[in-house]
Amino acid sequence: MMPLVEQEQLTLFGETSRLHNFKMTDTVDMKSQNSDDSDYDESDNMDEDDEDDYCGYYDNDTDDLDIDKPKKSDDPEYFEFDLLHLEDAERLLNEEVEALCSKLKIDPSLAKMLLQVHGWNKESIIERHIIDHGKLLVDSKIKPAVKYKDTCFSNYRTCPVCYLTVQKDQMFSVSCGHQFCKECWDSFFQIQIQQGITTGIECMEKDCNILVPEDFICSALSKPDFRDRYSTRSFTDHIEGHPQLRFCPGPNCSVIVRAKENKAKKVECGQCKTIFCFKCGIDYHAPTDCGTIKKWLTKCADDSETANYISANTKDCPKCHVCIEKTEQCTKCKHDFCWMCLGDWKAHGSEYYECSRYKENPNIANESAHAQAREALKKYLFYFERWENHSKSLELEEQTLLKITSRIQEKVMNNAGTWIDWQYLLDAAALLRKCRYTLQYTYPYAYFMEKGARKQLFEYQQAQLEAEVENLSWKVERAEITDRGDLENQMDVAEKRRQTLLKDFLEI
Amino acid sequence: MANIAAARIQREFKEVVKSEEVERCKIKVALKNDMYNELEGTIAGPPDTPYAGGTFKLEIKIPETYPFNPPKVKFTTRIWHPNISSVTGAICLDILKDQWAAAMTLRTVLLSLQALLAAAEPDDPQDAVVAKQYKDCPEIFIKTARHWTNIYAGGPHRELDLENKITQVMGMGFDEGKARVALSSHNWDMERATENLLS
Repeated sequence: MMPLVEQEQLTLFGETSRLHNFKMTDTVDMKSQNSDDSDYDESDNMDEDDEDDYCGYYDNDTDDLDIDKPKKSDDPEYFEFDLLHLEDAERLLNEEVEALCSKLKIDPSLAKMLLQVHGWNKESIIERHIIDHGKLLVDSKIKPAVKYKDTCFSNYRTCPVCYLTVQKDQMFSVSCGHQFCKECWDSFFQIQIQQGITTGIECMEKDCNILVPEDFICSALSKPDFRDRYSTRSFTDHIEGHPQLRFCPGPNCSVIVRAKENKAKKVECGQCKTIFCFKCGIDYHAPTDCGTIKKWLTKCADDSETANYISANTKDCPKCHVCIEKTEQCTKCKHDFCWMCLGDWKAHGSEYYECSRYKENPNIANESAHAQAREALKKYLFYFERWENHSKSLELEEQTLLKITSRIQEKVMNNAGTWIDWQYLLDAAALLRKCRYTLQYTYPYAYFMEKGARKQLFEYQQAQLEAEVENLSWKVERAEITDRGDLENQMDVAEKRRQTLLKDFLEI
Repeated sequence: MANIAAARIQREFKEVVKSEEVERCKIKVALKNDMYNELEGTIAGPPDTPYAGGTFKLEIKIPETYPFNPPKVKFTTRIWHPNISSVTGAICLDILKDQWAAAMTLRTVLLSLQALLAAAEPDDPQDAVVAKQYKDCPEIFIKTARHWTNIYAGGPHRELDLENKITQVMGMGFDEGKARVALSSHNWDMERATENLLS
């Protein structure tokens, strides 16, 4: 991986020149800053010189940010969201329930049911309430179209579930009027809760689908622990049913993400750092959309055996045929080649990069079914292999990052620059990760794309990104012997390619 | 909760035994043990269907959470029907799954199954092969279902041409049951059925 040989001499050299460079740019920038802010300088002549520098330094910094980072409106991945704790989310839901209660003059239990049934769309509920309140309740399975009438005058009833005879006042019903004894309701709710059903519990009568409200369930449940389980589980249901809220999918993470728009955008959990898609909750997958990535992942799971066979961790060096693991060179003959297509790496250079594009057999329609099946498998494996390659490379780069971190630590301890001086190496590794991640998710997108001009454009941009990511990976791995300017330039180029591809193909 | 299940079954058992309607529709339940958690159901094939005249046996298992969860029911008599597996007897019927209600009984289950025999739901199949035949070749489906009723459920109508084909395939050294399934599944096309048996 990273050449960890003794290069102290070289590095020290590189480092001093870098520090020098840094100073140079700093002064140049400050001059320009001063001339820009000439009005400010004149009016604030009273200020001391160093404070002036101080202001200029930070102004300059923000300018830099503006240049490097795309504006919010330009960034195709930009997404506004908040991270909520359980209590915050609970308060938020309660506020929505209360707002509906006061607007419609109904009790909270009913308001909760209405909101859950209608995906927490308060406006639509209010609108339908104004048009026809009765119809809204019938459509929402809260009130029956026709209520069951008890025509029996006796003081005793037979519960239709346990067949026991009980006193009339020991029978209970929800809005539909179907009566059951308290014990049966209790047992029924306990079993439903055990099976994870809470907000969708319906009346026990045959062909009756009236929903049972929360207050009825809580008063019938005899065991307090079931009441707790009910409220926990129904809270989860409410979060899952709310289009603006989503649980962080990270293991044992209780953060809830809130976003105004239910879109397939990138969300990073502040607590467990899991990155996921807000819309579908699985690993972030731009430029591929939620439906396509699901299809792809299912396909990968189905065809895993064949794919496993193909995607073994090793390949043969195309020159000397020794079996190698992915590093960056054949350790035996030092031949540099493209890991993807095993072609000579020199030929890849800045030239058009072709190995990310699948070349379909143009005559396939005329071939036999058998040949078509083989072609289909070949096509799938082509994309799968590239998908897998990037996934494995991401794992490898995790190790590179660890090595970089420990090298920096070592250097700082030896007084070779400060932590801040080496920060750019970590930035480069993080950016490489980000670019490679997007690149990985371009393969499912390309696999499901229709043939045509748009696919050609996509594959062109994908190839460009592929080439720049590999260049960046190369430079990050040799960070210590790469010039800082060169590395930062490469970072910029790679990120621009990534942004261009997303801007053109991320459909939101 | 187990006591509710057993108590309910005891009462239901009496209900099914007594009911006149049951006598008329020819449905029956028999206990298989004295714990009231396993029963055997019997339904008569409804008239004017390929199942008419046949008697179909069902295995009924009562879960501990009965009647809050549905009983587990499957056919033990082999049957050719889009919503019933021709191999295992498993049934695809909404009331045995998510549309179950605690107020339903064994009687309602058996009557619903009888109704299912009279009106199949080919768009929600249990056995895809049967469902395809039901939709694409209804005449072949009726003959096949009648033949299965005759062989396995004691139905009165013999399908001699189908029996002939089975005998022919058996002559090639195949087992009778396998020959019947292969022929039934391939719309009684001898060539495709034998090809299937050989592969």
